[in-house]
Amino acid sequence: MVTDHSDGMGFFPQLLGGDPGLLATPQGRKWYDEINSGKGADAAIDIVTSFGKGQMPKGFPTPGTPAYRGAWRETIKAAEEANEPGRFTAFIGYEWTSNAGGNNLHRNIIWRDGGAKASLVEPFTTLPPLGSPNPRDLWNWMAMVEEKTGAEILALAHNGNLSNGRMFPIIESFNGKRIDREYAENRTRWEPLYEATQIKGDGETHPFLSPNDEFANFERWDKGNLDLTEVKKPEMLEFEYVRSAFKNGLKMEAELGVNPYKFGLVGSTDAHTGLAAVEEDNFFGKTSSAEPSPDRAMHPFVKTDKAVIMGWETTAAGYAAVWATENTREAIFDAMKRRETYATTGPRMVVRFFGGWDFEAADANNRMPARVGYTKGVPMGGDLNNAPNGKSPSFLVAALKDPIGANLDRIQVIKGWLGKDGLTQERVYDVAVSGARTIGADGRSRTSVGSTVDVANATWTNTIGAGEMITVWKDPDFDPALRAFYYVRVIEIPTPRWTAYDAKYFGVKMPAEVTMTTTERAYTSPIWYTP
Amino acid sequence: MIVRLLREPLLQFLALGAMLFALYGLAGKRSVEAPEKIVVSASRIANLSDGFARTWRRLPSDQELRGLIEDYIRDEVFYREGRAAGLDRDDVIIRRRVRQKMEFLADDMSVPEPADEQLAGYLASNPERFRAEDRFTFRQVFLSTTRRANTIDSDSKQMASILAQADGAADATVLGDPFLLGEEFRDVSPSKLTSIFGESFAKQISVMEEGRWQGPISSGFGQHFVFISERVLGNLPPLEAVRPLVHREWANARRLEAEQKLYASLRSRYEIVVEAPRANAAEAASR
Repeated sequence: MVTDHSDGMGFFPQLLGGDPGLLATPQGRKWYDEINSGKGADAAIDIVTSFGKGQMPKGFPTPGTPAYRGAWRETIKAAEEANEPGRFTAFIGYEWTSNAGGNNLHRNIIWRDGGAKASLVEPFTTLPPLGSPNPRDLWNWMAMVEEKTGAEILALAHNGNLSNGRMFPIIESFNGKRIDREYAENRTRWEPLYEATQIKGDGETHPFLSPNDEFANFERWDKGNLDLTEVKKPEMLEFEYVRSAFKNGLKMEAELGVNPYKFGLVGSTDAHTGLAAVEEDNFFGKTSSAEPSPDRAMHPFVKTDKAVIMGWETTAAGYAAVWATENTREAIFDAMKRRETYATTGPRMVVRFFGGWDFEAADANNRMPARVGYTKGVPMGGDLNNAPNGKSPSFLVAALKDPIGANLDRIQVIKGWLGKDGLTQERVYDVAVSGARTIGADGRSRTSVGSTVDVANATWTNTIGAGEMITVWKDPDFDPALRAFYYVRVIEIPTPRWTAYDAKYFGVKMPAEVTMTTTERAYTSPIWYTP
Repeated sequence: MIVRLLREPLLQFLALGAMLFALYGLAGKRSVEAPEKIVVSASRIANLSDGFARTWRRLPSDQELRGLIEDYIRDEVFYREGRAAGLDRDDVIIRRRVRQKMEFLADDMSVPEPADEQLAGYLASNPERFRAEDRFTFRQVFLSTTRRANTIDSDSKQMASILAQADGAADATVLGDPFLLGEEFRDVSPSKLTSIFGESFAKQISVMEEGRWQGPISSGFGQHFVFISERVLGNLPPLEAVRPLVHREWANARRLEAEQKLYASLRSRYEIVVEAPRANAAEAASR
């Protein structure tokens, strides 16, 4: 997808072109001079911060102005030119960059349709009076677009980890009230997906929220909000991460009758370079100022008097995988709507996940696992209801490693549920592990797969782990009266992190605090059980 | 592509540099006669001032301009003395830079817009560059490294001899292990195969025959025997479907041609002697 930020679309061409109106403002002049004297990265941070405070200079393009309209048309044109049905799909879209107070509530808006419909409107922005940073207003705008233009659109948010407790609220930050049925209905209608992993950190869960999950401490960005103007407090975390949002979704559903957080998972880069280069050995960085160089790891990504996020903390992730019937806008969009998707942190793994009531061990040996999966159950993103008497849900789970990537350590099913006491719970089950390791009665394999990583040479070998895994797993602790969700996490064997490749390639020494290995992974959309 | 390249400031700079370099070559002859004299001409000063303004978006102050001129003189002194001392010779970076400038000199900066006939002709005479990808329909017998960790090599040999006897119509795929993406692949292109199995698989299958079991092909997953039942050769699209691509390739071909022509004419001025390599050097080269 080709996107630009909703607010100030066309701003940068205008600024770089030295637009006299913009240069007449003190901010415009300052940024222009900074960019032209090689301090573009400083200017960028200042622009983001000023935007977060709603302090943009006069002349900042808004919908309806020629600069804005021109930029939106360019975006549409780029997607239209690149789109080649059956071979390469390019969606039309933009990012609604809601960043009130520096708290990231960004959403990408995607069109199922082509330019004829997309060009009938201009993007919804976040700065009043034309726009609003409140997602409720975005949803109203989306409803208006569908009604007026006949288009189909969806929104997907990212970086709840930089929202300081506002991405998956129970109390809305904009009005201080508990979310109501209208919020829940709109959220689940317009936001079928969430971006669980990307360059600005991983969003599945956090060690504070999942203390018994030894894979939870992964690519954490928990120092503050997007521009680090406010530090993170532990009580914010529950409203930022995917797993706790799924859990709170069950709670809200019991209360409101609708689950606001019934979304599927994808990963994406959020790269501002136009490159899909987020594998560890080809990581090209988030922006042009963070492209490979000997010192990029030690250059601050964001720095304020409150905290600093270093370049080495950026994550080489992720990709969106969609089980679509064909490579077209329509088929991929429809698959995204039904949440038949998964996220990976960089490897191109194949992951299957089906849930039903009748899967049996022999199905794991079927030569057509997908056929038996669709026949007997629902795929990732689907629903299970009406548990047959005495039956527990069973799941067909399979993963194939990246053809040129590392082997797999294990497949896990993450279950969350709403207890009789109204409290949410979570549990991690290992369902397939490589080699001769076994899974205990507690559903866990406590033996590590080990590591073959040679950090100094940035290499590893596939002498441990498995190339493929497939199994049938039945929930051993099922209670048909309780709401639950299940999703799959596939863990790769340890591999060198991009920082190890950088150290080797540039011959630089990384400080001790820099993480040098990684365990890449995939997260599927959940399958929900509703009594 | 070419148009975008020409808009690149670096290229513009290099092209400008190449012209200056050519001019300098003429001027250089004079400087040999009077090596002790450095003239900073009015046009040179204007150049320095323009360069400053391009970076800082304003003209230099008098003091800054004096600094620029002093720096230029310092450059010139070191440059002349360095060259006189032979420091430019056998320097890989300087050689590469000079060669690059020479190659840019050859680039015709004003390639005229080609007529449709020219592009159609180019398309017809270079079909392999524009042909759609071939598509393969095949079945596989898969032997999984994960399932057969210790026996895969012997199993693979055994499978090869079984399949050598197999009738193509018989369903031999059940002899192998299940594969998550199945054992039948319909109408898939090499680029799709690269994303499923890796690049080496796609390359190997591209040169295999149809109608019999072949392989094994190794992948990150294990060993694959394949039976190609159909190969559809990619067809050559009409010009209107690929015009921008053909235009880009045509312009690039013109550029390479000009470069080659310049090189050939320059090279013809030299008598070139290549000595036989020393024995150990040849050995090192063959390793």
